[in-house]
Amino acid sequence: MSLFGSTSSFGTGGSGVFGTTTTDSHNPMKDVEVTSPPDDSISCLAFSPPTMPGNFLIAGSWANDVRCWEVQDNGQTVPKAQQMHTGPVLDACWSDDGSKVFTASCDKTAKMWDLNSNQAMQIAQHDGPIKAIHWIKAPNYSCIMTGSWDKTLKFWDTRSPTPMMSLQMPERCYCADVVYPMAVVATAERGLIVYQLENQPSEFRRIDSPLKHQHRCVAIFKDKQNKPTGFALGSIEGRVAIHYINPQNPAKDNFTFKCHRSNGTNTTTPQDIYAVNAIAFHPVHGTLATVGSDGRFSFWDKDARTKLKTSEQLDQPITACCFNNNGNIFAYASSYDWSKGHEYYNPQKKNYIFLRNAAEELKPRNKK
Amino acid sequence: MGRKKKKQLKPWCWYCNRDFDDEKILIQHQKAKHFKCHICHKKLYTGPGLAIHCMQVHKETIDGVPNAIPGRTDIELEIYGMEGIPEKDMEERRRVLEQKNQDTQKRKLNQDDSDEEDDDDEPGSSFQQPVARLPQAGFVPPMTQPGFLPVRGAPGIPPAGYSGIPPMIPGVPPMMPGLPHGVPGMPPGIMPVGGMMPPMMPGMPAVIHPSVSHRPGITHMPQVPSVNVLTRPAVPAVVTPSAQPDITKPLFPSAGQSQQTVSGSPHTPPSTTSDTPKPTFPAYTQSSAAVASPNADTSTVSKPPSAVTSKAATLTTTSATSKLIHPDEDLSLEELRAQLPRYQCSIRQNTPTAPSVAPAAVLPPQQLPHHCGFSGPLRGLPGYVPGQMLPFVQAHAGIPPGYQGGPSRPPMGVRPPVMSPGGRY
Repeated sequence: MSLFGSTSSFGTGGSGVFGTTTTDSHNPMKDVEVTSPPDDSISCLAFSPPTMPGNFLIAGSWANDVRCWEVQDNGQTVPKAQQMHTGPVLDACWSDDGSKVFTASCDKTAKMWDLNSNQAMQIAQHDGPIKAIHWIKAPNYSCIMTGSWDKTLKFWDTRSPTPMMSLQMPERCYCADVVYPMAVVATAERGLIVYQLENQPSEFRRIDSPLKHQHRCVAIFKDKQNKPTGFALGSIEGRVAIHYINPQNPAKDNFTFKCHRSNGTNTTTPQDIYAVNAIAFHPVHGTLATVGSDGRFSFWDKDARTKLKTSEQLDQPITACCFNNNGNIFAYASSYDWSKGHEYYNPQKKNYIFLRNAAEELKPRNKK
Repeated sequence: MGRKKKKQLKPWCWYCNRDFDDEKILIQHQKAKHFKCHICHKKLYTGPGLAIHCMQVHKETIDGVPNAIPGRTDIELEIYGMEGIPEKDMEERRRVLEQKNQDTQKRKLNQDDSDEEDDDDEPGSSFQQPVARLPQAGFVPPMTQPGFLPVRGAPGIPPAGYSGIPPMIPGVPPMMPGLPHGVPGMPPGIMPVGGMMPPMMPGMPAVIHPSVSHRPGITHMPQVPSVNVLTRPAVPAVVTPSAQPDITKPLFPSAGQSQQTVSGSPHTPPSTTSDTPKPTFPAYTQSSAAVASPNADTSTVSKPPSAVTSKAATLTTTSATSKLIHPDEDLSLEELRAQLPRYQCSIRQNTPTAPSVAPAAVLPPQQLPHHCGFSGPLRGLPGYVPGQMLPFVQAHAGIPPGYQGGPSRPPMGVRPPVMSPGGRY
């Protein structure tokens, strides 16, 4: 359990050591900077579940590590621990009791990190990089779900090296989300599959994609009774689809909206269209946040079908985001996402994770 | 109960003959569908306005109003909402609607006294008597239903105020001889007799609601043989929804559904956005018709940002109006990135080996155990030969044995030739 032995220096409190540039385009929103951010692009962010007191943030990165910070109420972030994989970490999640963190990597393995002992052990193996990992807590079972580029979705009891179940997918897993009893996986070639997790996971329905471009991120939302009822799907074409599983009136209830584009309307210059890198729903308000390659984040109210806010533009794409368990904190990561190819990759450029107070800005718009 | 005056009917669009609930919505529709510039998507207010805009701003002429039906494409007619519609077209519309109403009525009611159609407010005294009798008959439930009226006078009615609606609908003779009545708005206790279809119709929605709650009560009455209830065309519609007041459907209803593919095209049938939920996402309002429409073809104008992801392993990322900020290959950003040697299996990663010298450029991959990294993301790459890392490295770069790898190219660095066949990078 070492402090992050990286080259970046430890900032004290929330502000970075580097805040000397006048333009400060790396943090135009003046949000709290997390100390000791990873050394390469951040692929995923996750806050600890409500079962644990306090707020702990984990971030996986392309530097093969996953780091954990404690976020204190005064905004200070304290690096706590980190673990390594042998390849870039693509996804991470918490167990429901907050004692374990599960990480998935390009090294085709997933690990279970016990935070108390700071030990990590491998719990899953695929034939290709694992892109998505989620913890499933069902009344009659608990397991880890991993989606990989090897086109399989596997479920693991962490105590056994062989999967409890392995489901074949039509294509490589690009993103997934789980809110019991529903799971959604979006794959390459615009595949979209919904799984139901009661009793045991099974494929529920394959859905024709509401989007015309490559799927990039997905997040399930719940209804007023707190049951999962649909999902938001983002693509590389600056668009998010809101899709209900059993809508009263599909033509009216389901819709898509454009986002993360430059130039607004009414101009003759070609519009730049950016990928939506991540979507997260506010746990209390049900409103959503999207982050994109354009370096902005936006908050939306899907029921009122309006935009609540768009941020200023950061100088790097925003690659990941998440809310903490009570919705007071919105975390987003600023790092290169490869949207302009390898030429724009600068390994020296610093990566950031910012924390923003989300209590007010995500309140739903009053309808009518 | 409809107003007797022949008002301007419901707002409708002169260009495409569509009906709307509200003139405001009609105007929004016109702006989005007919008065929108196909070049820059600016929404104008009128046809001539659009023509002028195109000429001045884009130096282009347009010869007709977009999305208009033949005969209604005149770009010079200044129409805004319902204003500006030529009188003869208005009349024609009224005639068409009347015709439609009459047809519907005739069909549903076998109406023989068509002269009553326009009499909607004559509740009057003639109505009272039968009404007074009904309550005595003990029909409270049906009586409270607007729209269900035991029309016939007392005789025969008492027992059943309403035959169940469904049975009534087809061919129930509107009986109201002598009982013309405006249905809705009848004083409490008076059964609205639905004799007049046309006037009724506008009132239907209002009528329906209160009756919904009574629905269960009504269906008890199917045994009224002699009753003629005016069946409003809307009635059947009403019946249905009431049967399912807000049922919360289970999320995963039952095996039967499990294999259905929900059509993923949620598009609000373009333009029927007469109920476009108000302010939409700003980027979204771009074409309110395209609101729910991801189809590049459906949404009339929303810029077709780029072609559908092609199957041929590349995306079309550019078009005249927009540009996708994404590499061309049809792989995810992570897959593209993971191809880089620096992200391959850790062994090399953690020990930034020096061997960047000459043939060593090829060496590092040699050292990598086979299971590291290559298989997954590279699957889609043309030219990738699974299991043969070395040839892959060499072939793509066109690297002959002894490739120098460029002067001290750091192993951690990016290697364009290696990564992309054809040197796309």
